[in-house]
Amino acid sequence: MQVRRSIDLRVILPAAGAAVLLMMGTALALADPARDAILAALATQAKAADPAFTAFSAARGEAFWNAEHSGGNPDLRSCTSCHTKDPTAEGKTTVGKAIAPMAVSKSQQRFTDEAKMTKWFDRNCNNVLGRVCTPTEEGDIITYLSGK
Amino acid sequence: MRMLLVWDLPTRVFHWLLVLCVATALITGFLAPEWWKGVHAVAGYGTVLLLVFRLIWGVFGGEYSRIASFVYSPRRTLEHLRGLLMLRPPHYMGHNPSGAAMIFALMAVLIALTTTGLIELGGEEKQGPLAGIVGYALGNGLKPVHRALAIVLIAMVTLHILGVAVEIAITRAPLIRAMITGWKPLPAGEPVPEPRSARPRAAAVALALVALPAAVVLGELSRLPPTGIPTLPANDLYAEECGACHAPFHPSLLPRSSWAGVMAGLSDHFGQDASLPHDEVQRIGAYLQTYAAEAWDTEAARRFAVIAADEPLRITATPYWRKKHARLDAAVFSRPAIGTRSNCSACHQDAATGRFDDQAIHIPGDKAHASQTVD
Repeated sequence: MQVRRSIDLRVILPAAGAAVLLMMGTALALADPARDAILAALATQAKAADPAFTAFSAARGEAFWNAEHSGGNPDLRSCTSCHTKDPTAEGKTTVGKAIAPMAVSKSQQRFTDEAKMTKWFDRNCNNVLGRVCTPTEEGDIITYLSGK
Repeated sequence: MRMLLVWDLPTRVFHWLLVLCVATALITGFLAPEWWKGVHAVAGYGTVLLLVFRLIWGVFGGEYSRIASFVYSPRRTLEHLRGLLMLRPPHYMGHNPSGAAMIFALMAVLIALTTTGLIELGGEEKQGPLAGIVGYALGNGLKPVHRALAIVLIAMVTLHILGVAVEIAITRAPLIRAMITGWKPLPAGEPVPEPRSARPRAAAVALALVALPAAVVLGELSRLPPTGIPTLPANDLYAEECGACHAPFHPSLLPRSSWAGVMAGLSDHFGQDASLPHDEVQRIGAYLQTYAAEAWDTEAARRFAVIAADEPLRITATPYWRKKHARLDAAVFSRPAIGTRSNCSACHQDAATGRFDDQAIHIPGDKAHASQTVD
């Protein structure tokens, strides 16, 4: 009995350790101060635009990500046109160049560089919807992709 | 019947190697796809080496290989031609006057062909020993001359083969076997000639005296950087911003006016918003203006500088692009490894350098490799 228990521990302890490290790593990757600051600023703007705003929603972000939009380039009706339905997968530009996954778990630097983020939101919202996205839409998408 | 060794071994080997080189050059020049240009050039170099050898062997070779032995006066040439017409040509042990005339004409055309080819290779393709001293305009300008000479060569080769056939038919002399074994029968009643023998050592010395300086000169010429190819500095901003969506095109692939149009219209970049901050537009724009087609003397730059009137910003709309890809089936561009017409590097392995060498073309998934011809 004693022997069997010690064998169990030898298996369980490293596994548990690895699991803890993995969770810490994921938590570290997801909690980025720059991204938190970007989200906080977007929340302030969202509140200013709509006093009823309470918090960003991953579910709303997911719906927006997968929705068919209109108003932009008819060949680019959705985020998924280039980024695919699976944010953890590689996407593809219209001329076939690979796009690194948008999911923060796969591309940890996503939404940490405000200038880069603004450039791509402005371009791609214009391409897909023919307008800029609202702070709520942007915050929802970031929240959705941060959990992916 | 008494047999005489007429064609010495070097002359026979020369003849058949020349057949091989000329046939290879004609086939790769007229029929093979672009990526055979390297083989075409090798056939040309081979022809040059053979011509140099033959001219030297024409001085130091055996009796019938010596050029002096088959230089005939116009009178004797006419006499021989008249004899041919009456089906009773006078007998010659070596080259007869009509054949000799053809040999000199072939030599002249081959010298002109290899010279124009070498200039074309250097000026247009930026390859070979003349790439450092010949510009695109001259290389490209000689293209029709090279082509016309090749057509003349085909006519002359045909005439040469017909002439041999006629002579065989009239005289029953085994001419083809003679060019393989070297031996020709001496017709009855003809005096036994006393041919001078070859001087191989003198020929080797002469060959060395010609080949060594030529190798040094060509070697030095080959070390010169090709004309009209500036050093393109790396541009991280261009690579990062333009390379985010597509492979960053070599700046030489459009003229300044087109790049200016591209940079002024990023908010609607071929149907998509590719806007950039003002200062980045300025920096990338300046880079493209500096290294646009006008700054290059390469084939791609000179050709793509001619833009389409209706779509002046689109490389794949230029007349040259359309012409060069016209024979490719639309399905080729849909192959997974290619995907789109603007994916130059899928097939042009040197697209990033702007050279677009014919030899660097490899169409993925194209086993047959047979759709385009050399132009």
